[in-house]
Amino acid sequence: MTAAAARRGACLVGIGETRYAKWGGIADTSEYQLAMAAIQAAVADAGLTLDDVDGLASFADDRNDATFAAADLGLPELRYATMSWLPGGGGACAAIANAAMAVETGACEVVVVYRSLCQGQFHRFGQGPGGRPARGPARVAGPRRARTLLDAHLGFTMPFGMFSPPIAYAMVLQRHMHRFGTTVEQMGRVAVTTRAHAARNPRAVMGTRPMTMEDYMASRLVSEPFRLFDCCLENDGACAVVVTTHERAVDLARAPVEVLAGAQGTPRGFGHGQYSNVSMPDDDYTSAGARTVAGRLWARAGLGPRDIDVAQIYDHFTGLVLLSLEDFGFCGRGEGGGFAESGALAWPDGALPTNTHGGSLSEAYIHGLNHVVEGVRQLRGESTCQVEGAETCLVTSAAGVPTSALVLGRR
Amino acid sequence: MTARWFPDEMPVPAVNAETVGWWEAAAEHRLVVQRCTACGTTRHPPGPLCPRCRSTASEWSDLPGTGSVFTYTVVRQAFIPSLADRIPYVVIAVDPDGADGARIVSNLIDIDPSDVSIGMRVDVVWEDMGPELSLPRFRPAAGATDAKGAAP
Repeated sequence: MTAAAARRGACLVGIGETRYAKWGGIADTSEYQLAMAAIQAAVADAGLTLDDVDGLASFADDRNDATFAAADLGLPELRYATMSWLPGGGGACAAIANAAMAVETGACEVVVVYRSLCQGQFHRFGQGPGGRPARGPARVAGPRRARTLLDAHLGFTMPFGMFSPPIAYAMVLQRHMHRFGTTVEQMGRVAVTTRAHAARNPRAVMGTRPMTMEDYMASRLVSEPFRLFDCCLENDGACAVVVTTHERAVDLARAPVEVLAGAQGTPRGFGHGQYSNVSMPDDDYTSAGARTVAGRLWARAGLGPRDIDVAQIYDHFTGLVLLSLEDFGFCGRGEGGGFAESGALAWPDGALPTNTHGGSLSEAYIHGLNHVVEGVRQLRGESTCQVEGAETCLVTSAAGVPTSALVLGRR
Repeated sequence: MTARWFPDEMPVPAVNAETVGWWEAAAEHRLVVQRCTACGTTRHPPGPLCPRCRSTASEWSDLPGTGSVFTYTVVRQAFIPSLADRIPYVVIAVDPDGADGARIVSNLIDIDPSDVSIGMRVDVVWEDMGPELSLPRFRPAAGATDAKGAAP
């Protein structure tokens, strides 16, 4: 057996979700209340109670602070609370990995990782950082003082109208198309396949909205080459995952899902990713930025891409799914488009059924923590697009920013 | 020059101690790159030390203002309402000549968006936003509009 098999890693023993709704669709419940509900649901699913929880972890600058949550949930003691530095959706798998490390070292025993995101109650990410259309007036004496390091870096992008993620990542795909011949239709295959998976998932926000390739091609251009249907949802909802030791997991009601490996980080010089850095080497610029994470992940798991039964690949934009598939070695550099075109991503017959819940494109945009939830479902045999006998699942976090990934398994 | 390409509601650049020198040069219509004076490596956005040799010594090295398009996008959605009558517009990442791989984001103006291509040659043109703020935009290099598709 592999090195990872010799260890018994931390396990994911509970999952919880609120309802997922379109942008502004949840107005009667606050984002914080949703966080509490998701945490409680996950703890109940694990067969535990809140009195068992002693750690909380999140990412993406979640507004619902662990310290307040610990008090409001009545946790007997908070022993561990972490926020990942990886920006936005890059930190979902890192938050799980951080929790796994915490329970494996004995810092605490039961961590709930959560993400609550009501873009309807706050801002739309598509409008860029700051939560509102950034305003001039442009006729000013001079620049303004930056509030953060990122703010200063975005000083080199925002005044030029590159003030939204689809614009920045459209430029990455434009370069990828130029270098490798990637096509719009290949990106469309990601959108259409993912929507088909969502059609089987009653939780999916777009589950009742079928999409053909013709529908995809007819959707309006946002920032070339991205169309509307290349872009993920902006929506409301929350989810949570309970992490504990293997020792404790085996005594619980649900079949434990083991964290076979977790990895996080960036290659040299990647910075905050292509959203603000266009100076990195071409091979990194036209990648997901996950090359080094993938190498460490596979080494730690003692597994490789051929050993993976099902994948949940972060899908804020269709094109970046192709780049992640390349970085994680499911195909060669520049071959992500052809891989998708081959039908590989489609459940049930594809070589690598991917985003079996409908992903961020069609289930919900909970910053990719819902991809971890779906990974758990697959390994419990409970997905609405169940891969028969699935024993291993790759979960990745956002491409194009400092990122993270997990290999989950059951045995 | 004072031609305006974007509405007044466009974001104003934010600066910090590391980046203010770049903007001061821009206000003088100087396109510059931060260059380590110990090892000569360039970097952008600017930072407090050289990622290669870790020296904190640097200078603002003047560039000729020419370059080539590394990548681009044609933006067709008005992400702020006042852009509605300015779309489509072109955002580019430029490889400025002499910057040794330190690229900048800007706009390509005075061109039909369907004529933009990776590798095309461009020249800087300055837009004055205020007495202490000028933005570098780019236009196709003189005589370069027929050279579309010339990849680096």
